Amino acid sequence: MSAVTPLQNGDTVLLPERIADLTGLGEFGVAGELLAAFLGAFVIANLMMAMTGVAGPWAKRKITAAFTDRIAVNHLGPAGIFIIVADAVRLLSKENIIPENADRPAYDLAPIVIAGSALLGFAVIPMGSGIHLADPEVGLVFVFAVAGIASIGLVMAGYASGNKYSMLGGLRAVAQNVAYEIPLVVTGMSVVLFAGSLQMGTIVEAQAQPLVDLGVVSIPSWYALVNPFAFVLFLIANFAEVGRNPFDMPEAPAELIAGYQTEYSSVYFVLVYLGEFLHIFLGGAIIATIFLGGPAGPGPAELGIVWFLLKIWAVFLLTQWLRSAIPRVRIDQLIEIGWKGLLVLSFANLALTAAIVGVIA
Amino acid sequence: MSSQTGLETGASSSATESSTAAESVLEAYALGRDDHLNAPAFVIRPDEVTAALADLRDEAGFDHCACVTAQQYEDRYETIYHLRSYADPTQEVSVVVPTPIDDPVSRSVTPVFETANWHEREAYDLVGIEYEGHPDLRRILLPETWQGHPLSLEYDRETPQIVTLSEHDSPTVAGEDGSEPETLFLNVGPHHPATHGVMHVKVVLDGETVVDADPDIGYMHRCEEQMCQQSTYRHQIMPYPDRWDWVSSGLLNEWAYARVAEDLADLEVPEYAQVIRTMGAELSRMAAHFVALGTYALDVHGEFTATFQYAFRDRELVLDCLEELTGQRMMFNYLRLGGVAWDLPEPREEFLEGVRDLLEDLPAKIDEYHDLVVTNEIFQARCVDTGVLEADVAKQYGCTGPVARGSGVDYDLRRDDPYGYYDRLEWDVVTESAGDNYARLLVRMGELEESAKIVEQCLDVLEEWPEGDREIQSNVPRTLKPDPDAELYRAVEGAKGELGIYVRADGTETPARFKIRSPSFSNLSVLPEIVRGEYLPDLIAAIGSLDCIMGEVDR
Repeated sequence: MSAVTPLQNGDTVLLPERIADLTGLGEFGVAGELLAAFLGAFVIANLMMAMTGVAGPWAKRKITAAFTDRIAVNHLGPAGIFIIVADAVRLLSKENIIPENADRPAYDLAPIVIAGSALLGFAVIPMGSGIHLADPEVGLVFVFAVAGIASIGLVMAGYASGNKYSMLGGLRAVAQNVAYEIPLVVTGMSVVLFAGSLQMGTIVEAQAQPLVDLGVVSIPSWYALVNPFAFVLFLIANFAEVGRNPFDMPEAPAELIAGYQTEYSSVYFVLVYLGEFLHIFLGGAIIATIFLGGPAGPGPAELGIVWFLLKIWAVFLLTQWLRSAIPRVRIDQLIEIGWKGLLVLSFANLALTAAIVGVIA
Repeated sequence: MSSQTGLETGASSSATESSTAAESVLEAYALGRDDHLNAPAFVIRPDEVTAALADLRDEAGFDHCACVTAQQYEDRYETIYHLRSYADPTQEVSVVVPTPIDDPVSRSVTPVFETANWHEREAYDLVGIEYEGHPDLRRILLPETWQGHPLSLEYDRETPQIVTLSEHDSPTVAGEDGSEPETLFLNVGPHHPATHGVMHVKVVLDGETVVDADPDIGYMHRCEEQMCQQSTYRHQIMPYPDRWDWVSSGLLNEWAYARVAEDLADLEVPEYAQVIRTMGAELSRMAAHFVALGTYALDVHGEFTATFQYAFRDRELVLDCLEELTGQRMMFNYLRLGGVAWDLPEPREEFLEGVRDLLEDLPAKIDEYHDLVVTNEIFQARCVDTGVLEADVAKQYGCTGPVARGSGVDYDLRRDDPYGYYDRLEWDVVTESAGDNYARLLVRMGELEESAKIVEQCLDVLEEWPEGDREIQSNVPRTLKPDPDAELYRAVEGAKGELGIYVRADGTETPARFKIRSPSFSNLSVLPEIVRGEYLPDLIAAIGSLDCIMGEVDR
């Protein structure tokens, strides 16, 4: 393995500009730039949705099966990969059943809010290989803010379904998100103290500096290595934020059937599920960006997107691993862990980091 | 010595003991005697039954109301309370309460034994006896709108009945005094992932705290008692028990019937067959406990848990052995009155080796379950001190099996009322004292290991059994017609606890009354008691840890 290649992020060319240059849309002024931006967003959204398409019907089944001594889908295509097509057809052709006492249009909007909020977050994530839609100065705050919108979607879904299980699931989701969003953001801020910026591009760039130089191999200063404590905190808070074991209380099928998703079918169900997966991937993307050096990895910079996706999938794999192995906590224990444990630890982490950074700087 | 003689001596000696103890207590009440084969039976007036049972419990130590049987004769109704003692279940006494045919009203003994609550509801539902002073006398197995009592003699079996489901008001709609209620009424089931079958629990929630829970059973009611009453003792009844506790406890259930029928018709069972029965029964218990463990993990971990799959994988290995032995995976129909259907499969060594392999791999697997489940901190946080069942409450509700043993009630019929080959093998009864969801799981984990011990010893015995002496079934008459009016209650230790059967013979080939005392029925009745004040997830965990199989509850 060669040394980690620093990413050329200082003079970042964002995706819309690149598209504008390639297609000549730049000559059409603001309208052209808008169109280019739209095309860029379209590419990224589809990339993420395609990934969800692979993850939901196929990869998740295969991974869980591997953990639990099973084979899972294997009839359609090599390793059952064409189940993705079959499942897509199946899910989209099902009747969309809307409960009689559903509160519309909240019921209809909720799936869009859940899926949309996650997609928005990817706008500021630098994925390497030049795939980076926007790099605002408040990137990290933006991504937390839009990811947080999902909570509204969850409570809308829970309330508007007119089902008690959905209601309980929605309430749990909100209680959980409120309890874990704060530690999540506070821990995220400790990274900002290191990087000195909220801009995603800068955070990634800062991690390219070598932490230790061991001659042949230079270990980069990924913040997971610089501050493993914050990394673990962030991981845990993230599992709660995306509602996965041991914190999958909002769905908890053995208790609440499927929580806020209970009454969704067909396309709406696909959207809700898509939203869930996108949130897991967005969580993975944030972790990769602020703790794992973003798209950095061995080899030429063009491979950035590969490394980036690998990191996201590593986080996804971890969630599936926990699902197979770890029991879920109870809702009161979950809130306790959030408010009494993670919140305190995350502030301690922030204070410590501030002290250390202050001393060194 | 055959085990049959062992049974007889045991029964008769204890019968005299319990009869003297009970006699002195019941002197003031008893109108007469109506002795059953297993126990002395005293006839008591309906208005005195509550006091009589209270005296029996407090003064003579009959603290376990094992079963309540109701039946109708041509001239009267009869309720039988089968009492025994948790300390020594061979101490048995039956209390017979006749009620007139035109006015079948008796007194409820629910104030004395909580377990009578559900049993009397069932008696009312199926036979039609009413119980004065019962706190909640409504149908339990059949729908509320059902007409007639199916096990009564005048029941019209020809007219089909259609039951419509009507929406009922949710208690949240309006408070009694018009104020806004602060609780949420939640139907858990009948279709719910955690009810392990079809059960409906009416739950009242305050936030996520359970204020009250009321299990509504009967969705799996298949008239098993009625079907057995229409079938001949010799061959036709044996397949039914497999379908009571259907998660691979088949041989244990079959043994319950075999034991009662053999004692009723005075049949010998060759010792060799007893060894095979004991081995098969313990394999069944292992399979059943694997299911209990796996589904419990499903309730506490979530639906993608590896433990569930591991448990089913290991159960499958046990089922493979049972399939070799019986020819069936689950509905074995392997036991015969007076023995078993056939000898071990040939080649014999291969079968014995196969079972030994299973036992050899077991310790490593148990270790893995300990890693995944038992020693997991989150699992402990979820299960320790939740769903606590105190020992005296367990006794009040007639809990048996791992549920009772998890609460420190040291009661196991294999040891306390020996049958089969158990009394000649080395094994221990597993008990835990905490009584919480965690303790019940620990008991089952411990019993897995104990069952493996028993199976291993059986294998040794089978291996060394002389070839010329492998008698698998004694000589049993082609048709069995037990003496008219012979009555017998006999129980075995099923996977879930005391699985008892009461049979009354009327001189024909079929039983006049066939009453099943299922352990899950009594164990489930304690659910409201252990979940009040707990959180909703604890309710789910408690349902899982009680390990009720609805086929056995509803019969």
